[in-house]
Amino acid sequence: MAKSEGFLERHHFLLRRLHSLTGVVPIGMFLMVHLTTNASIVWGRINGHDGLEGADAAVATFQHEVNFIHSLPALILIEIFGLWLPIAFHSVLGVIYATSSKPNNDRYAYQDNWRYTLQRISGYVGVLFIFYHVATLRWGWSFLIPGGTEWSAEYAASTMAAALQGSTDGFRLGGLLVSAFYMVGVSLLVFHLANGLWTAAISWGLTVSESAQKRWGQVCFVIGVGLMLAAWSAVLGFATLDAASAREVETNMLEKAAAADGDGAAPEHAASHDEDSDHTGG
Amino acid sequence: MTVATTNGTAKRTAAANSRKVRFRIKRCDGPNKLVRWETFELTIAKGENVISCLQKIAANPVTTEGKRSTPVVWDCSCLEEVCGSCTMVINGQARQSCSALIDVIAPDDGDTVTLEPMSKFPVIRDLWVDRSRMFDALKRVKAWVPIDGTYDLGAGPRERPEEQAVRYALSECMTCGCCLEACPQFELAEDESEWDKSFIGAQALSQARLFNLHETGAQLKGDRLETLMGPDGVSECGNAQNCVKVCPKHIPLTESIAAVGRSTTIHAISKWFSGK
Amino acid sequence: MTQQQRVIVVGGGLAGLAGSARMAEAGLAVDLFSLVPVKRSHSVCAQGGINACNEVARQQGYSEYEHFDETIYGGDFLADQHPVLEMANWAPRIIDLLDRMGVPFNRTAEGYRDLRLFGGSLFKRTHFSGATTGQQLLYALDEQVRRLEADGAVTKYESWEFLRPILADGADGPRCVGIVAQDLRTMQIRAFRADAVVMATGGAGLVFGKSTNSVICTGAALARCYQAGAAYANPEMIQVHPTAVPGADKLRLMSESARGEGGRVWVPRKKGDSRPAREIPEAERLYFLEEKYPKYGNIVPRDIATREIFDICVNQHMGVDGGNQVYLDLTHKDPEYLTRKLGGIMDIYQKFVGVDPRHEPMKIFPGVHYSMGGLWTQYTAGSYAPSEPQPAHVSGTETACDAEIGRGMLPGAPNNMMTNIEGLYAFGEVNFAFHGANRLGANALLSCIFDGLFSGVGVANYIRDGAPSTAPAESIPQSVFDSAVGAESSRQKAITDTAIGGDHADETNPYIIAKEMGEEMTAGCTVVREEARLQKTLDRIAELRDRWSRMKLADGATWTNQSLSFARSVGDMLAVADAMASGAKARKESRGAHYRIDYPDRDDAKFMKTTFVTYDAGEGRARVEHREVRAELVAPRARTYGKVDKEEPAKAEAAAAGV
Repeated sequence: MAKSEGFLERHHFLLRRLHSLTGVVPIGMFLMVHLTTNASIVWGRINGHDGLEGADAAVATFQHEVNFIHSLPALILIEIFGLWLPIAFHSVLGVIYATSSKPNNDRYAYQDNWRYTLQRISGYVGVLFIFYHVATLRWGWSFLIPGGTEWSAEYAASTMAAALQGSTDGFRLGGLLVSAFYMVGVSLLVFHLANGLWTAAISWGLTVSESAQKRWGQVCFVIGVGLMLAAWSAVLGFATLDAASAREVETNMLEKAAAADGDGAAPEHAASHDEDSDHTGG
Repeated sequence: MTVATTNGTAKRTAAANSRKVRFRIKRCDGPNKLVRWETFELTIAKGENVISCLQKIAANPVTTEGKRSTPVVWDCSCLEEVCGSCTMVINGQARQSCSALIDVIAPDDGDTVTLEPMSKFPVIRDLWVDRSRMFDALKRVKAWVPIDGTYDLGAGPRERPEEQAVRYALSECMTCGCCLEACPQFELAEDESEWDKSFIGAQALSQARLFNLHETGAQLKGDRLETLMGPDGVSECGNAQNCVKVCPKHIPLTESIAAVGRSTTIHAISKWFSGK
Repeated sequence: MTQQQRVIVVGGGLAGLAGSARMAEAGLAVDLFSLVPVKRSHSVCAQGGINACNEVARQQGYSEYEHFDETIYGGDFLADQHPVLEMANWAPRIIDLLDRMGVPFNRTAEGYRDLRLFGGSLFKRTHFSGATTGQQLLYALDEQVRRLEADGAVTKYESWEFLRPILADGADGPRCVGIVAQDLRTMQIRAFRADAVVMATGGAGLVFGKSTNSVICTGAALARCYQAGAAYANPEMIQVHPTAVPGADKLRLMSESARGEGGRVWVPRKKGDSRPAREIPEAERLYFLEEKYPKYGNIVPRDIATREIFDICVNQHMGVDGGNQVYLDLTHKDPEYLTRKLGGIMDIYQKFVGVDPRHEPMKIFPGVHYSMGGLWTQYTAGSYAPSEPQPAHVSGTETACDAEIGRGMLPGAPNNMMTNIEGLYAFGEVNFAFHGANRLGANALLSCIFDGLFSGVGVANYIRDGAPSTAPAESIPQSVFDSAVGAESSRQKAITDTAIGGDHADETNPYIIAKEMGEEMTAGCTVVREEARLQKTLDRIAELRDRWSRMKLADGATWTNQSLSFARSVGDMLAVADAMASGAKARKESRGAHYRIDYPDRDDAKFMKTTFVTYDAGEGRARVEHREVRAELVAPRARTYGKVDKEEPAKAEAAAAGV
C-alpha cells in the first residue's frame, strides 16, 4: 500500500491528467455513442426500419446497431483496452481522489458547490451502476437480475426489456427497482460526463476567463440535456417494451439473416445461442 | 475622534436604533482543550461591527447566564478589511469580522450572531487560528520576483495598463484564508509536516500566477509549476469554485486556477518533448 | 568570526522589511520580530501613494530639490533638513527599486508609471497602485524578505511582542545588545542577543483611542525604549487627517488621493440645510477650501484642511446635518475612472458605510492619523553645505543642490537613525526625522522605505566597525540578559496576579482605562490645544496611571493571554500620552499640526526647536527640553499656501514678511 501511494505521488500530475483524459476519451465518447445507440429504442420508432413501424421498427433498429457492434473484429480486445480498463482506471483513481473531499454544501450552498458534491456522488453511484450493468448484461451474472433473464446480442431488445422489467412477461417489483436504478444511474452518469467536460476544460486550462468558463458551461449544459434525453428514452423505451413481441421481430431478423446466408442451420444456431458461452455479445 | 462619534446625528440615530443582539461564541482555551459555547448579549447602536462588539465583550465579559468569563481572544489589526487578520466564521461563513456590520448580519432586535474560529487552521485560542501554512505556501511557490538586490539598478519592466490591471487584482490578496476555509478540497493539517500533503489551495495558486505574469518573476515559472504539479498542486482543485465567491477582495481565483492549469499543461508537454 | 553578527529588527512594516532586506544583503543575520505576520503590518493601510520626482514632473520644472523644499515647508520648518534632502534625492531610486520588485504601479497607456496629484504640491509626483499603494509596497517588500527567509538570511518571530531593549554598559553610556520578547501564543518570555536593534514599530494612534491606525499601533514599543532611556522627540506632533470616516471601532481613512483625483470638500452654504447633497445646487454649496486657498484648493496640506473642517463644524456649526461632518464629493467624476484609480477606498466606504461614494458624496471628519514625532535619532550630514540657508525654491529655476547620493546624509554612517542609545536604531514612523510638524501626503511610505534601505547600511557598518566589532553581543555576560528577562517576568506576574479574586470595576478595568485615555487625548490634545486644557489632560493621565497601577486583569491564563498584553501596553501608552501632552504644553506657539489657540502664531525665535523628551523614571513623567533644529539648507518662511484671508490680509502679509 505504501508503495502504491508513492507511485500515486510520484506520477501525480500524469495520473490526474490521465484520469481527466480517460473521462473524456474514451469513456465520455463511448457513453455518447452508447446512449445514442440505446436511444434507438425510441428514435427507431420514428425512423422505421426495413418496412417495420412503431415499436417493431425500434427493436429492429436497435438489433441492427447491436449487430454492427458485434461485427467489429477483436471486439473483446476493444472492450478490454478501450473500455473496461479505462473505466476501471477512471473509477479507481476517481474514488481515491474523491476521498479527499470535504463537502460543505450546508454552509456554502452555491450551485457550483452542489455540482462539485454531485460530481463525487455521481462518481460513486456510477461505479456501482456500471459494474451492475456490465456484470449482468455483459458478463452474464444473471443471478443479479430479478427474473434471471440473460441478455443476448441476438435478442438484444427483448432480453434488455426483460432485464429491466424483472420478467419476460411484464413488470415485477424487482424489475421496478432495476429500472429505477437504471434511471438514477444513467442520469448521474450523464451529469458526471457533462459536468466533467466543464471541469476538464478548466483543469487543462482551455477555459481560463470567467466568461469562457461560463460559455463552455452552457455548451456542456446543452450536451448534458441532449444526453439526458437519450438516456431517459433508452431506459424508458426498454422498460416499457413488450418483450414477447420484440422477440418475434428479433427471431424474424435472425431467420432472414440465415436465409440470406443460404444456410438453413441459422435458426438452430439462434436457438442454441442462449446456452453458448457468450464471448461475442455486446 | 470622540467629537466625530458623539455628534448629534450619531447620538440620535443610535438611540433610535439601539437594540439587543446575542453573540454565540465558540471558545477553546488552547490546543487539545475542550470546546465550549458562550453567549453574550449586547446593546447595539447603529454602525457597529463584530469587532466593536468583541471589544465590548472584552471590557465586560459576562455571559447571558450572568457568569463572568474572560475576554474572547481573536486576531485583528487594520479593521479596514485590508490586512486579513480578523477572518473568522460568522453565521456559518468565513469573512472578516471588521466588515461584518451588525446592522446587516443581525438586523433585528433579539437576533443572534454566531462566531466560530476558522475550521481549516489549528486553533490557538478561541477565535484566533494559526495560518502559518498560508505563508509557508507562498515560500513553496516562490511568490516573489527574484531581483538582484535592493540597490538601485534602474526601472523595472514596462507594462501595459491591462497587464497591470490583471496583476493588481491578484496582488490584492491579503492572505486571509476565506478561499481555503470555503474550499471542500482544502483540509486542516495540524502539523507542519502535513502541509504539503493535501491541496495547497487557491491563495497560493493565484499568487504563483501573479509572479509568473511578471517579466522578471517568470524566471521562476518552471519551479513554481513543478511544485504545483505535485500531489498538493493544481490538479487537487475540484472546481467547486467557492473560493471566488467568498473572496472579500473579489480576486478572480478560478481564473488563476485555470491559468495555472493551462501553464502546467504546456509545461508538461514541453518538458516531455524537449526534456526541460 | 565563529558567530555570525546579528541584528534584531522590531516591526515588519515597510521600514522593518526594507531594513531587514538591506541588512540581510549586507551579510547580517536578521531576526525580525512582529506582533502580527509581517504581511499584516499597518503599512498595508496606506492608500494614496508614494512621492518622488519623476521625468514628467522634472520636464515641467520639478526636481528632487523641490520635493525636499516642499517637505520642509510642509513640515513647517521643524524637521532637521539634511535627512529630508537625502530622502528626496533617493525617492526616484526607491520607486525604480519597487518597480523592479514587481509593484503593480498604475500605468499610462504607453506603459509608464502613472502619476497623481497630492497635497502640498502643484506637480504630479505621486506614484500609486490603485488606492492600496501601502498594501502593494508592503507586499513587495514582504515577498523579498520571504525570499531571504527561504535562503536562511532572515528569521521571523511573528506573533512575538517586544518587551524591552536590553542595555549593557558601553564605552559612552548604555549600549543596546538585544531585546526581551514574548511569544503571544505560548507566553514564553525570553532574551535575544543582537549586535544592534532596529525599532521599526510605527506610530502611536491607539493612544487616541479611535484613530486611522491599526490596533497594533499602540506606541508601546516606543514607550518601552523611551522608558529605558531613549529620547522621544516632538511627541506633540500628531497628524490629524482631514478625511476619515467615523466608525464604532476605528476611524477609516479616506485617502488624500480622493482630493488629489479631484475630490471637493464642501458644506451647504445655508446652515442647517437638510436637503440631500444632490439636491443642493452648485451656487448654494460652500467649497471652503477652494475659496480660502485658491492656489492649492482641496489639496492644501493635511493640518490646514483639518483645521478648516474642524472650524466649519465645531466653531461655525455648518457641518452637514448640523453634525461634525462635511462632504467629500467625487460624484462629478466618472464612476469607472473612480473604480480604476480609487477602487480600494471606494470599496471601504461602501462596505463600512453602505453608500456608494461614486454616486453620493462621502461624509467625513478628521481623525488622528500619523505621528510625526518619535524616537530621537542622529545622522551624519552629507556634502551639501550652502553658505547660507536658501530662500523658497521657485519651480523651474536652478536648484541649489543636485540629487547626488550623499548630499543630505552621509551614506553608511553608523549613526544614521541611531537613537541616543548606542546600537538602538529607529526607522520609519517611530522616529521623528523627516516630517517636522506636519507630514505631506505620500511621504510616509517614502520615509519608511528610505530609512530601511539607506540607514540599514549604517547599521551594518556599526556592527562591523563599531563597538560590536570588539565586544560582540555574544560576549556580553548572560546575567545581563537573565536580569532583563527576570524584570519582565516580574512585571507580568504583578499584572496576572491581579486576575485572582477581588471585584471587577470600571475604575480598575484596563479596557475602560484605555478608552478614557483615548477620549481625553482626543478631546484635549488634537486639533485645537490650549494651556489649561492640556494641563487638564495631564492631570487626567496622572489619574489614569494611578488607576492603571491598581488595575485588575480579567484573564489569568498562562496561554495566549491577550488581555495581559493589552493591559501591559496601556501602562506604556499612558507614558506616551504624558509625553505628547507635555510636549504640547511646552510648545507655546502654533506650528504645523500643533495649533494652540492661546498662541496662534509660529514663533521661530523661541520654538523652531525640537521637543526633546526624556523619561524621568523617578517622577514617572516626561522631562521636556528644546533643542535647535538644524536648518542650514532652507531659510524658514511663512507657511501660508497662498491663503486668501478676506478678513485679515494684512496679518498674512506680515507673517510672510516677518520670518
